[in-house]
Amino acid sequence: METATPLEAELKLFEENRREWAQSHLGKFVVIQGGAILTEFFDEYEDAFRAGIRQFGEERNFLIKQVWKTEPVYFVA
Amino acid sequence: MLTYEFPWNPFDPANPGPCIKFSVTRFAEDIRDGRKIGLEFPEPPVPTALIDTGSPFTIISKVLAKTCNLSLTNPVFPIRTMNGDCNCEEFCGSISFPGSPLPRIAMARILARDFYKETAYSCIIGRNILKRWRICFDGQNRMVTINAPENFD
Repeated sequence: METATPLEAELKLFEENRREWAQSHLGKFVVIQGGAILTEFFDEYEDAFRAGIRQFGEERNFLIKQVWKTEPVYFVA
Repeated sequence: MLTYEFPWNPFDPANPGPCIKFSVTRFAEDIRDGRKIGLEFPEPPVPTALIDTGSPFTIISKVLAKTCNLSLTNPVFPIRTMNGDCNCEEFCGSISFPGSPLPRIAMARILARDFYKETAYSCIIGRNILKRWRICFDGQNRMVTINAPENFD
């Protein structure tokens, strides 16, 4: 049986908006929960997390994604 | 400024880099609010973490992330290592350094992946934490010194 990935819907919503956001908010962090997107974008991951907690509470997971044109792959040496 | 000094022998094959004790919990405000309403939070495990200037992020095992009930913020976070590409999960948590005077970091981005081959450590402290500290390795005396401001956040 196939199981849903956590935050799968949020990732899909992010991909649908990636191109537009990359024009207007490149490098910023966006917060998504379900179909809800915080209107504010954030410079720092920690600020995005605080805003997500304020908006969605501590019990619900929410997606935090940094906006880039394509998905970066960070090198870990 | 707080100072923590410890020995490290760079020629010891069992000791691949400077390591310190490390623990993660749900972010501190979450625990504080939970305790107000009577929730209990058991003491977290205290694994050994490698100080790794080659890693942009702090990385823990997926088992530890789930044990500590960290908040998931991204289920698919690709990284590239010498062994190839892999997908991490991204969490938000609070980080402490038991046995040292280094100040707790109330909220930090933490990646999680499986650790298979590493025996000397099971976490990596990356540059998102190291940016808070000044680290010096005295090769002649084989001592590592970390200087950390009391408040960075």
